[in-house]
Formats: sequence, structure tokens, C-alpha cells
Amino acid sequence: MVASDLLTQSVVNGLLLGGIYALAALGLSLVFGIMDIVNLAHGHMLMVGAYVAILVFTATGITPLVGMLLAMALMFGLGVLLQKVLLKHVVDEGLEQPIIVLFGLALVLQNLGRVILGGDARTADIGIPGNGFDIGIAFMSFPRTVTFVVAVLLIVATWAFLQYTKTGQAIRATAQNRTAAKYMGIDTDQIYVITLGIGTALAGAAGALLSMLFPIDPYVGWSYLLKTFAVVVLGGVGSVVGTLVGGLILGVSENLGALYLGGGYRNVVSLLIFLGVLLVKPEGLFGSSGGGE
Amino acid sequence: MSLLERAPGESLAEDRRVQALGVLVVLALAVVPFTTTDSLTGLILTGLVFVMLGVSWNLLAGYAGQISLGHAAFFGMGAFVSAWLTTPAAAGFPESIQLPILAAVVVGGVTAALISLVIGPIIFRLSGHYFAIGTLALAAVIELVMLDRRDLTGGATGYYVNGDLSIGEVVSHGDTMFFLTLIATVITVAATYVIVRGPAGLGMKAIHDDEDAASSLGVNPLKYKMYAFVVSSFFAGIAGALYGHYTLYINAQSTLAVTWTIDSLVIVILGGMGTFAGPFFGAALFLLLDNGLSAIVGGFSSAVEGILIILFIIFLPTGLYGLIKEYLVEETTDTDAATE
Repeated sequence: MVASDLLTQSVVNGLLLGGIYALAALGLSLVFGIMDIVNLAHGHMLMVGAYVAILVFTATGITPLVGMLLAMALMFGLGVLLQKVLLKHVVDEGLEQPIIVLFGLALVLQNLGRVILGGDARTADIGIPGNGFDIGIAFMSFPRTVTFVVAVLLIVATWAFLQYTKTGQAIRATAQNRTAAKYMGIDTDQIYVITLGIGTALAGAAGALLSMLFPIDPYVGWSYLLKTFAVVVLGGVGSVVGTLVGGLILGVSENLGALYLGGGYRNVVSLLIFLGVLLVKPEGLFGSSGGGE
Repeated sequence: MSLLERAPGESLAEDRRVQALGVLVVLALAVVPFTTTDSLTGLILTGLVFVMLGVSWNLLAGYAGQISLGHAAFFGMGAFVSAWLTTPAAAGFPESIQLPILAAVVVGGVTAALISLVIGPIIFRLSGHYFAIGTLALAAVIELVMLDRRDLTGGATGYYVNGDLSIGEVVSHGDTMFFLTLIATVITVAATYVIVRGPAGLGMKAIHDDEDAASSLGVNPLKYKMYAFVVSSFFAGIAGALYGHYTLYINAQSTLAVTWTIDSLVIVILGGMGTFAGPFFGAALFLLLDNGLSAIVGGFSSAVEGILIILFIIFLPTGLYGLIKEYLVEETTDTDAATE
């Protein structure tokens, strides 16, 4: 039997990690909900974001929290470019082409990561002084708490953007009905560009946050893709609250799986939860079924 | 009549010139072990494995329209099951289950098919993107579990597989494996040809084009998806089993790696998805890329592969086959016009 303090500790750690998963998943969910594309390179974009933060930190000692902003800006640019140069040819053209374009991009990013930075895992440090604190049942480590708070803030900011800005409303209108949105004078092509930019920027942000907690190597892309997609499936496409709850569920169940079954099964647990939900309730625990039209 | 201008439904393989070309290629391949070096034989064997992977993935993805990202799992399980049978001691099985390589390879393929038979009805509840990611996740689960079961798989270090099919001094083990692989490739190609030209192929194409419409006309989508999935997994398993017994080494990290899925996909995209001859062209080009590219672009070869499949799928979705066909048809039309 596992000691109860160990149990509460891993639940708390799981919740804190789940916030970052939710942030990463929000980007994937946004793109899926609006463009009806699963960004197969999402995990690899997260990896690139993590590397940006790590490189900035190792070169200058600047905290990855600042590196995160750079990573977000860069990844926003990559997303915009990706849509304008490649995906605009294949979006709304059925399933095969977007999947394969993004699969190819994932290969490219992984390969560039390996060649430029080497295959070894790297990690950054939070780089700012601070102490964790005890909440009685568990210890809140400083980097885990800070990254969780930042992740939740970014999720709230994205939600507010979608809810209250004109662009955000246009994005939501496009998600509901692309044709109608177009008739209402919304430049849906531009909406796609912005959506993909935001989606990839969020992946970059999540990667930068994760770089403070876990070592990152060029091969983590697939695993984070599956994790973030699991969160999307848990939460339902297009539901911000669902995504947050899904992230927390995944974070906790992963940690519990590692605790009870051993570290090797950490990822197996999350994948099985994912497959299970996908099969039993494909529309997710919260949202309605997604898709542009 | 031009080589490729034919009535729809009429098959290219009924053209005697194409048949003769096919026989010629197989004969040329059959003398490879005697006329080339061991390393070249190995290279061409790898090319045949690529053909089997490409043809089998193309059946599922190109014809039935189910983009599976879990092909590596069937390749790898075929390899592992056959290795357990030829080398039971390494995985802690009793010696009594030991089988000769040929039988083990067949059992490897059958096991891969059985796995797909069990998984199929569940995983086909998913469609589109969900199916793609679901199969990717499934393959990841299998890889992680196998990696963790060190007793069965040797974990990350893997183990050496027993096998010696050398005949006298002339024919080495690798040469025999080459012939087996060549025969298996011919069977894979012939079987796939029969399937896609037959009623099952029509059913697969129908659900690919419009599942709802096909379904309303009495075509059972699950039946044809399962058909494609099981056959595809069987041949992927055979390919894995043969490759494992050629290299005589097996390792959960590389044998079940997502790389095999990537390779299958790249081969089919380069050759032309949903075209019968596509995977042959794709496998040939991929073999060149895989071996020649690293000399030119250093470590960037898989980035170049990624860029190529992006460009192909956007600008040349019919692949090399489409390009060649266009060229040939144009060529012959011109000569026809000139003779008239």
C-alpha cells in the first residue's frame, strides 16, 4: 500500500502538471474545432518552444518565463507561415492531405531538433529565486506552482480573447458555421491564419513551461501529441473548461499510474484513458462534437 | 494503343508488356544474391521489405481510406512473435515451441492479422482524425508495454535471433532470406492485386469515396475496413518477421519504432497513394533517398523526407506514378498523332 502522504503529493503534482497539459491541449483543440485539422506536429511544436526557452536560458541565464514569450512569438510566426504557405492548399480538402502535411512537418521539426541540438535531453531551470510552501497535505514546489499559475493565466487569457474581442468572436463564429461566417463578412481565411498562429503559440508556451520541469529531447513530440490529444478528447473539442478539467484529470492519472504501476507505465496509463474515452464517449466528457461545419 | 490509356476498370496488368516487365524484374531480382555483394543484397532486401510495407499500408490507407498511423505495431509484432518461435529461450519460452524460420514467419504474420482482427472492431468505431491518432496511440501502447516487458523482448537492449538458412558455401543465410523475402513480396503484390481488382477492392474504394453513400447502397463499411486492416496487418507482420530474421537481431525500441510507420507512409506518398504501382516507385525512390540522401545532406535526411511528402501531397498527390503516367500517356498520344 502506498503511503497516504505520497498519494496526496502525487495528486497535487498531477494537478499542477495538468494545468500545463491543458494549456497545450487548448491550442490543439482550438485548431481542431475551427479548422477541423488535428495538428499532428503539435507535440513537436511544443518541443521547439521548449528548446527556445532552454537555449535562451543556457545562453543568457534569463528565466524561461521570459523565454516563453519569445517561444510564443516565434511559434505564432511559424503557425501563420504554415497556414499561409502550406495548409491553405489542403485545408477543407478532406482528411488525408492535412494529416500528411502535418505529419511531414513533425518529421522535419524532429530532425532539425536532433541535428541542430543533438539527441541528448536538455532542461532549463526556473532561474528566479523562490521557495515552495507546504499546504498541509502536500508540498507545493516552487517551479511546479509557478508554471501551473502561468499556464492557467494563459488559458484564461485565451478564453477572454475568444469571448470578448471582435477577432475572438469571429473565430467562434467561424467554428460554428464557416459558410455563414463568410456571408457575414468574416474573412475566414484570415481567421484560419490567426487560429493556427494562436494554436501553435500555445504549444510553444506549454513547451517553455515544461522545460522547467522535465528534460526535453527531440523525440518528445509524439508523446506530447498523444497526451494533448488525450486531453482534448477528455475535455471535448472546443470547450475551454473541459480542456482544463481534462488536463487536470490526465495529469493526476498519469502520476497515479506511475505511483502504482511504476514509472514505465506513466504514458501507458494516459494512452489507455485516452483510447477508453475515445471509444466510449468520443465527444468528450464535456463539449459537443467539434468540427468546422 | 498506348501503354496506359485504357478503359476504366481494365487493368494494366493484363497488358502483356506490363506482365513481361514484371516477370523480368522478378527474374533480375532473383539473381541479385549471386551477382552482387552481400551489402547490396541486404540493401535490395530492405527495398523489398519497403515494398511489402508500402503495398500493405496503401491497401488500408490508399484504397480503404483509413489513415492508420500504427503500421509499425504489426510489423514489430510479426517480428517479435516469429523471433519467440525461432529463439524461444531468449524470451523465456520452453524450447518445445521452437519452429523453423519459415513456419515462424507465417505464424508471425498470422498473429499480426489476429491482433488486427481483435482490435479492428474497436478501433474502427473511430473515424478520420480520431482513427489516425487512435492507431498512433495504440502502437505507442504496444511499444511501451513491450519495452517494459524485458523478459519477453530484452527491453531496450533486445536480443539476437537464431537462424541459419545457409546452403553449403555458396548460399549464405542472408541470400536465403533474400529469396524468401522476394517470394513473400511477389505473394503480397499478387494478393493485393487480386483484392483491389475484385469486388472487395470496389467496396473499399466505395467507402473511401463516400462512406455514407456506400453504406446506404448496402456496402457494409466495417466489413471492408476489416478486410483491408487484417490483410494489411498480415503482410506487415510477414515483412517484420522476415526482416527480423534477416538482421537476426530484435529490439523493442527499433523493431516497434514509429519509423516503420513513417517509412510506409513516405513510400506510399512518394509513389502515389491509392495507385497500385505507386508503392513500387515509392519504395525504389525511398531506398535511394534513405541511403543516398545522407551522403548529400548529412543528418538532415528525414527532414528532406518530411519536406518531400509535404510537397508531394500538396502539389503531386498522385505521386511518382501519376507523373510517369502523365508523361507516358502524353508521349504515346503524341506519337499516335504523328503516325496518323
